[in-house]
Amino acid sequence: MGGKVILFVICIVFNNMEIVGNKTVMRCINKIMKIGIPRALFYYYYFPLWEKFFKELEQEVILSNPTNKVTIKMGVEAAVDDACLPVKVFHGHVMDLAEKVDAIFIPRIVSIEPGRYICPKFLGLPEMIKFNLNDLPPIIDIKLDLYNKKASILEHFFKIGKFLNKSRAEVLKAYFVAIKNFAFYKNYIRLYRKIPTEVFNNEILNYDDNNFKTITNQSKPCFKVLLLGHPYNLYDDYISMNLIKKLKLYNVKIITYEMLSEKKIFQGAKKLSKEMFWTLGRNILGSAFYFLDNEKVDGIISVASFGCGPDSLVGELLERRVEKEYKLPFLYLNLDEHSGEAGFNTRLEAFFDILEGRLTSESNFSSLR
Amino acid sequence: MKMKCSLGIDVGSVSTKLVLINEENDVIEKLYLNTAGKPIDVIVKGLKILNDEFNSSIEILAVGTTGSGRQLASVLVGADIVKNEITTHAVASLEEYPDTQTILEIGGQDSKIILIRNKIVADFAMNTVCAAGTGSFLDRQAQRLGIPIEEFGKMALTSTVPTRIAGRCAVFAESDMIHKQQMGYKIEDVIYGLCQALVRNYLSNVAKGKEIRPPVLFQGGVATNLGIKKAFEEELGMSITVPQHYNVMGAIGAAILARRYIMQSKSKKTNFYGFNVALKDYKVKSFECKGCANCCEIIQIYRDDKIMARWGDKCGKWSSSIAV
Repeated sequence: MGGKVILFVICIVFNNMEIVGNKTVMRCINKIMKIGIPRALFYYYYFPLWEKFFKELEQEVILSNPTNKVTIKMGVEAAVDDACLPVKVFHGHVMDLAEKVDAIFIPRIVSIEPGRYICPKFLGLPEMIKFNLNDLPPIIDIKLDLYNKKASILEHFFKIGKFLNKSRAEVLKAYFVAIKNFAFYKNYIRLYRKIPTEVFNNEILNYDDNNFKTITNQSKPCFKVLLLGHPYNLYDDYISMNLIKKLKLYNVKIITYEMLSEKKIFQGAKKLSKEMFWTLGRNILGSAFYFLDNEKVDGIISVASFGCGPDSLVGELLERRVEKEYKLPFLYLNLDEHSGEAGFNTRLEAFFDILEGRLTSESNFSSLR
Repeated sequence: MKMKCSLGIDVGSVSTKLVLINEENDVIEKLYLNTAGKPIDVIVKGLKILNDEFNSSIEILAVGTTGSGRQLASVLVGADIVKNEITTHAVASLEEYPDTQTILEIGGQDSKIILIRNKIVADFAMNTVCAAGTGSFLDRQAQRLGIPIEEFGKMALTSTVPTRIAGRCAVFAESDMIHKQQMGYKIEDVIYGLCQALVRNYLSNVAKGKEIRPPVLFQGGVATNLGIKKAFEEELGMSITVPQHYNVMGAIGAAILARRYIMQSKSKKTNFYGFNVALKDYKVKSFECKGCANCCEIIQIYRDDKIMARWGDKCGKWSSSIAV
């Protein structure tokens, strides 16, 4: 038994998980496993999907603690210098999980739609983690690559199932439940214009039609602000210095790209002179153009992390286009571990002074638009 | 009858400014003090000076605070409004020069650009990760060269062949300056070269891509530096104006906004604690909250052993536990 565990660990270390399919090896972990999901990066996109899938396979899902001072400190120390803040934070979250779980789920996400890629740092994430951190439990680093049209997302889940020693039938069942639930979640967000983490935290992840009805419109918001940036920056309250909460204090109606369907994002992205290479950047630009063309938006806040390659281009494209075509107040916030909250708040306050100024001087308002 | 005045306090990183304005927005008195890392002491000192000078002859109608220490100042004096420095700078400029379209502001550690269109702020930017070219850096260079900071700008004007200095980074600018001095370049050429480098740096980092339309105002502590002003004019190809009260514009703006706020309705009275607060005993104590892994450092402000305010926590557990 003990030998098999060691053999199993060796297999994980020396092979990609894909070939660890040997049943004699796998049997030893045929129990309820504690699967750790770091509360960072793709957690903010796929948590409802992953959680449901693992739960359906009767595994326990454990999340790392919300980002805090310790997470950041550990992450920044462990990660390579040139990584962006969210990747450094991810390291901290993995370290937070290390002693609490049997395996950590860090899928190698290469591409999530045909013809487009995710930022290269996601491709190398499992390696970055393995080489920067020691004493980790097994890492589930199954590849997800849908770049090729023929690639199937199901194959990705089968491989995860294989790691957990589950039959294809069990995986298939879990997959369909999870994917249906995920579709429901996405619709819910679009319909009620919710921030993903609001839905995560309320733990109404078992959506049913009753949840749809319980939402009522509260007090009327003053401003509608388009909030652009990566979910792992925007919704991580520590990284974003409580941006969402602060916006709520200003009584702002926040709109983000999650509130649009793929079709609408596609429609918006058509305004680009050239096809966008990165999925995430394209989502940001496509949704921005769609919202700006189809809805009345009072202002735009764009959040990027210092050192983000794709964002340096996406942000620039966006800012120029907004300046030329839409003439809306635009606030660019750049975040890294050295960011001071005082400067951040000052910018935010001044931005809302601009919005209010435009509101109170109607004549100027119309001439600016 | 006592003159009705509004008080504006701007607590910056390097200097603290106190301004008294009358009902016509004329500046009655302005104080420009070194913060010297002790904002509380400086505010108290400023209030004492104002008290000795005016106490019997003026009545404080409204008080506004601004600058990076605006919260602290607000707690100490009882402010009616607490406003960010971008808005206050714009308000003060528009009061004096209603046609202003662009404001360049360089202070001790912050530099910003404010674009004004149709008499309202349309856009702004602040320096992000780099403080190269702000007042602190110029101070340090003046000190290193043994030139009083007041003479620094004038000296730059005497330059005939400005030296090219790499201004992208304050550390490298300094080594480049030293190198150029050792090569034998004249000191005034090096100084004006530095001014040009800082202006280039400002335009490419802070004002990046923003349309600078005249009339342009140049304010903040650095606006006193004639070399920088000249370099701006050369680079932009337009004349720029330095307002009379260039170094206290933020405080003026805060005072104006505070009065406007009080005047909104007759029932509103100022929160100002009176000049007597300057005689009280202020203390700051801090401790580390052990409530969660964030270990926030909580700052507590005491007046005569009574807690006035707390902040520094991320969750709001401490700051919301007493009314500020």
